[in-house]
Amino acid sequence: MIQEILKALSDCAISRYSITETKTDSIECFFIRRKLDMKRRTDLLEYSVTVYRPFEQDGTAMLGQATVGVHPGQSEDEIKKSLTQAYHSASFVCNPAYELYAGKTDHVRSESMFAEGPQQAMKKMAAAIFENDTAEDAFVNSAEVFVVSKRKHIVNSAGVDVSFHTENINGEYVIQCVVPQDVETHHQFSYRKVDAEALAADVKESLELTRERAKAVEAPQAGSYRLILSGQNLQEVLSFYDNRSAASMVYQKYSDYAPGMAVQGEDIEGDALTIELKAVEPYSPEGIPMVDRMLMENGTLKMLQAPKRFADYLGIEPTGYYGCKSVPTGSTPFAEMKSRPYLYVTTFSDFQMDAMSGHFAGEIRLGFLYDGEKVTPVTGGSVNGDITQAQKNFVFSKERFVTANYEGPYAVAMEDVAVAG
Amino acid sequence: MKVKDSKFILQSRPLLEELLARLLKRYPSATILATDAKSMRYRVSRFMTSADEDDLFSSRGFVVRVSDGVHSTEYSFNLITKELLDDICREIDEAAAMAGVVLPEGITESETHAVYGSEAGQAGGLTEAEAAAEKTAAELGDLKVADGRIYFTGASNCEIDPAEVSDEEILQKLRDISGQGLSLDERILDCICGASWQWYTKLFLSKDRDLMESILWTNGQVVTAAARGQEIKTYYKGYSGLGGMECIQGMSEGVKECVDATIDLLSSEPIVPGEYTCICSPEVTGMIAHEAFGHGVEMDMFVKKRALAEKYVGEYVASPILTMHDGALAAQESGSYFFDDEGEFAHDTIVIDHGILKSGISDSRSAAALGTEPTGNGRRESYKRKTYTRMTNTYFEAGDSTPEEMIASVDYGFLLENPSSGMEDPKNWGIQCMVNIAREIKDGKLTGRVFSPIVLTGYVPDLLKSITMLGNKVELGGGGMCGKGYKEWVKVSDGGPYIKATVRLG
Repeated sequence: MIQEILKALSDCAISRYSITETKTDSIECFFIRRKLDMKRRTDLLEYSVTVYRPFEQDGTAMLGQATVGVHPGQSEDEIKKSLTQAYHSASFVCNPAYELYAGKTDHVRSESMFAEGPQQAMKKMAAAIFENDTAEDAFVNSAEVFVVSKRKHIVNSAGVDVSFHTENINGEYVIQCVVPQDVETHHQFSYRKVDAEALAADVKESLELTRERAKAVEAPQAGSYRLILSGQNLQEVLSFYDNRSAASMVYQKYSDYAPGMAVQGEDIEGDALTIELKAVEPYSPEGIPMVDRMLMENGTLKMLQAPKRFADYLGIEPTGYYGCKSVPTGSTPFAEMKSRPYLYVTTFSDFQMDAMSGHFAGEIRLGFLYDGEKVTPVTGGSVNGDITQAQKNFVFSKERFVTANYEGPYAVAMEDVAVAG
Repeated sequence: MKVKDSKFILQSRPLLEELLARLLKRYPSATILATDAKSMRYRVSRFMTSADEDDLFSSRGFVVRVSDGVHSTEYSFNLITKELLDDICREIDEAAAMAGVVLPEGITESETHAVYGSEAGQAGGLTEAEAAAEKTAAELGDLKVADGRIYFTGASNCEIDPAEVSDEEILQKLRDISGQGLSLDERILDCICGASWQWYTKLFLSKDRDLMESILWTNGQVVTAAARGQEIKTYYKGYSGLGGMECIQGMSEGVKECVDATIDLLSSEPIVPGEYTCICSPEVTGMIAHEAFGHGVEMDMFVKKRALAEKYVGEYVASPILTMHDGALAAQESGSYFFDDEGEFAHDTIVIDHGILKSGISDSRSAAALGTEPTGNGRRESYKRKTYTRMTNTYFEAGDSTPEEMIASVDYGFLLENPSSGMEDPKNWGIQCMVNIAREIKDGKLTGRVFSPIVLTGYVPDLLKSITMLGNKVELGGGGMCGKGYKEWVKVSDGGPYIKATVRLG
């Protein structure tokens, strides 16, 4: 269908464009307890077309753009009408001019991680979820598993013609513990390969955490705490740096990040942060080749992440945006991190890092409070922190944590974070 | 005027009827949902302009659900031709047989509630609630019953069809409002103005139903931002409604409020954590309703034993002055429709009646599993995704106090405004709402001191039972979206009046 779209673009005299074709196949299983409640398959072929229109405004060169979907089965006339409307819209989208990314032809052939097929991948990951589901006090309440395979093909008018394959196994599960009180915890997972061992271990840890949640009845006293976060909560905290280093944020003056900036300030008392951006797909949505890049080194920003448009606006190298990062582990063993008083929150209702304000917050579903003598499971109350203050004294654990989008320390400790009891 | 029907859906209908006929020869139960949806999103800020199709709300495709009587299978696809019908049937058969391959040892396929709701052949014997919903549908659209099959067509109304308004006009209007915001105070870093709309037609076909609806909603938003060092403070005002551009006509009137609040936030302080008497603005009330007893009564959670509310039906869970609704027919807002994605007619469900929990909301499968009646709340993010029990328009009814009387009644506390997000906890009745601003009230008057950001938490029944005053006007906002956990985004509205409650803030 790409050829039909190209012909329609040509017939409509639209010379600047980009087309993305995405073929998605998935199998999906939905479990309630140890029963398959519903099974699904999807088989989708989708097209997104962005058209670009150069024009002048008050003597300044502009480039408007508009994106539309083109649907399989649409007639030639329908496609032309849709593209013409988008091209007309683009003439009112007043943004400074920039050049589309000029690329090359590259059709990447990669081996599927679903060597035995997606159904076997589903079987292994489903088995992993239930592998440690053997007790009556704490068990897997429900789970959803998605085995997804995508083929992307990106074409633009500046020579990009690339295609590649991506695969992902993701989902969520809920652990319920019924004694001494009936509670649950919610967990998400995402892997780029069939990693049944990691998923089984994740579920096992979640079962233990949920047992602790069932023992927690009191909220911590309101006050200021040495806060420990781990796993996906730490990943969420570090998302602040991904967002603040985005060229679109800098261009709009929502972020003052610039290469060479001491992001954590000049007086870092804890661990200096190093972040390497990892290329997990060969090309960005614009067709920019993705390679591993150093975003921050010892607290100093090395680059901004920029799609072509914002790269041109800021006069920097186009890199695309990255969705995966690697962070070196710290030197402090997790056990040592917990050797002095702390509030270690393992589970929030919804932990959020606001890249605009710099505040991170969430209601505590399960935490462990150590007062120097004993550890008490706690629940309730909320954390409300400010990363611009907390980042000065990050202490990262020696232990490692890996997901589809993160590889780095398992835990971080931060001083003086406000908690509402 | 009535919203137009999709030509694509009308053209596809004969093929879909043929597909249904073929499936009904293979399976005791089969349904098809066809969707054609287009959504546009416009945005103007100081440095950027955009006018793009919104890919979350724009889609064109089909989902088939089949059941052999005890097992359920779905297949989502987006290309259908006469030549492909055999292939589509084969894919569905393969999906239906998938369990034998994908299930590990010790895990089996559920063998209950696989025929339900519209698939169960209710045309000849409707329940009381179904009959009421059908009666309402007949009043709102064109409904007839022939040969044991229900036929329905309905369309929402709009005054100004956004598809007929030029992008130039829409963008110029947003540009004017953005400029207005930027000109009001030099400390305003940005004034981002957005508009979006979604038009869709859905066709639901089963042995007993042939339902088609066309719906249009429109949203607008003004967001102002100002910097305090590295911290960017923002405030927003939303506009929404079931209809066209008329729903966002008043956008420019809210700009000054946004600018003033953003400037107020530049001098905001962190709050001293604690429990306070609070007056919640209608949008905060809406988020509380949504998170507290909206998600809490989604009955697919009852099936999984994940909702405490199941055990409290018939009991006091809130102040006796509180009554709460949910339903696609409960209001004319972004969460409205005529029938849900499983072919059940929309309801107006009273969830809490004067403090007593009366009813949950339900999709058809959950209702079948629980032996209850579906409430028309089975919704999909799109044809690509599964159905879950989802909220629609959720709100508390009004009382008789004015906001001024409510503020005057507070010795010390806060006026809460501008919620940004929330999270449910149906199992343990916790609640979390992120609120942008708390304005201090002392001796019945606003002092001018503001605190931000705020995390509102609490135990749902404690919070709802602490409500002592209700404002005299219900306001609903449908600018946001609702997720099931962290995914499955659907359009909803929520709201209510100002409420006075005791709330834990941090």
